[in-house]
Amino acid sequence: MMKTKTKTKTKMKEPEDSHPGGISRRSFARGAALVGAAAALLPAHLLAQAQSPASTAAAGTEKPPEPSPKLSPASQAEAEAKIQNIMRKYGSRLSDAEKVDVRKSVLSQQESIDKLRAFPLENWDEPALVLRAVLQGK
Amino acid sequence: MLNDETLYLTVEELGEQLRTRKISAVELTESYLARSERLGPRLHAYATLTRELALKEAHAAEQEIAAGKYRGPLHGMPYAAKDLLAVRGYPTTWGAAPYAEQQFDYDATVIQKLRHAGAILIGKAAMIELAGGMGYRFASASHTGAARNPWNEACWTCGSSSGSAAIVSSAMAAFAIGSETWGSIVCPSAFTGISGLRPTYGRVSRHGAMSLAYSMDKLGPMARSAHDCGIILAAIAGHDPLDPASLPAQPTIFNSSSAHAPAQASRVRTAKKTLRVGWLTNAWKDLSPGVEKRIQEAQKVVRGFAANFAEATLPEGPWEAAAGLVISAECASAFDKLIESGGVAKLADPEGRLGGYINQQIAATDLVRANRLRRVLQHKMAELFGQFDVLATASLPVTASKLEANLDDELSFPDPLGGIGNFCGLPAISVPCGLADDQLPVGLQFVAPPLGETAVLQAAQEFQHTTRWHKLRPNV
Repeated sequence: MMKTKTKTKTKMKEPEDSHPGGISRRSFARGAALVGAAAALLPAHLLAQAQSPASTAAAGTEKPPEPSPKLSPASQAEAEAKIQNIMRKYGSRLSDAEKVDVRKSVLSQQESIDKLRAFPLENWDEPALVLRAVLQGK
Repeated sequence: MLNDETLYLTVEELGEQLRTRKISAVELTESYLARSERLGPRLHAYATLTRELALKEAHAAEQEIAAGKYRGPLHGMPYAAKDLLAVRGYPTTWGAAPYAEQQFDYDATVIQKLRHAGAILIGKAAMIELAGGMGYRFASASHTGAARNPWNEACWTCGSSSGSAAIVSSAMAAFAIGSETWGSIVCPSAFTGISGLRPTYGRVSRHGAMSLAYSMDKLGPMARSAHDCGIILAAIAGHDPLDPASLPAQPTIFNSSSAHAPAQASRVRTAKKTLRVGWLTNAWKDLSPGVEKRIQEAQKVVRGFAANFAEATLPEGPWEAAAGLVISAECASAFDKLIESGGVAKLADPEGRLGGYINQQIAATDLVRANRLRRVLQHKMAELFGQFDVLATASLPVTASKLEANLDDELSFPDPLGGIGNFCGLPAISVPCGLADDQLPVGLQFVAPPLGETAVLQAAQEFQHTTRWHKLRPNV
């Protein structure tokens, strides 16, 4: 969503991908790469969350994390596995606030991945990859 | 020192004065250097000034021109290059603290080509760290601080070619080189009221440039007119065996295939109306009122020069998500050492410190699927471009954001055209189309099919033939 507080005058058709939690030009690459409005978090809010016992639980491993309402149980489980993987590998480098951020970003990224997976493709739809054989001296 | 009137001239105009020796390359270079030393620190526009190199190149250019060895419209022309381009003997920081001391012992191909054309490098332009590849939340996501917008120094220039935009907009150089993976030429150009061209993927060699996303990175010119963009593109385009994505050697489609050609050669305006223009109705969900007003006025101008004008719609699908996933995965690979070493902790932005960890979790099958969607999208866009030579819409739905803004709040909106255009490697240009009520520039964008630089340049030049918005100057 364009988060300006202006009144809308245009009558533009909204692309399928352009939902209120759509992807900004920078958020493409933020950790979530694909984070939408739902993941936008003010630092103060983030700090408050990080300082609360609940946030530690959400970021860490001690209590069951809150599921994302937009994810199926299977996607939720997949996202949780990714979070655990990040924590296992890099958790010692992260503050509690960063762990909260990681969690939100992974969940949001998972929503975008689900959208990709929902798009119908056929077996013969090849990826747009180009491999050119390299010959010595050419 | 040359006056502001001269320093704000276009490359075309300056080139003619250099060719006819009304001004000298040394005088012009010293004037831009002095202005850069005065304004650059205030606007956080530069990573490094290359004074010694610039003056050496300027004296050489001046001697050659005096001796009748005129190389073309860029001969003696001072410019800045985004600090992701390698320049021998100077730091190339990629805008990021972990690379603050980095140096390369060679020049990027673009730098070499511009040197061959006689252009003079006066500095390395500031940029968002790692071109924003790890994500960022604040304009201050740069080793050199937040770039200030010459139109309102409380506002940002946008990123990641943030310094390049500030430099051109405030006449600290005649032009600059930027890069775009998603929005990094179009957005800064729109926010600062300049003309910026994103070439077709593979059109300009990226050898010696930082890689963010191998399948989406492009380098392009940022200047004070569309015509200038054509001149510069002519000098930097072309096959390079050192860039695996470089397009094969072929006759260039846009005019002025050589930087040695007269400036007029890059004029692609025609006496007869030829352009079929598709006006996009679903590129932006909302336009801010100030932007909408200017875009409606711009639409009338475009209607005036179009041979055919009709509404157009972008294909629907999860293209932004797919493009974002590809960028994220490629970036995580490009910076795997930085991520795994923990060096990302030295990045300025809180989001950038985490992005790599998250993006390493992207599954290979999802990356392949995203690239399968890319091919589907390419075919859909080819169908659309069967009806239109160019698509047009606002470059951005808003004007420049505040320097201290949380960009997740202030600059977060769906951008399907940016996603599609960059995912498919389509050329685009942003040209200024006036000021909004807040007195900040508004940009108009033209996008064409691959190798369609001629079309976007033609549309932009037609627009600038009718309007004078590109002649407006900020009060710096």
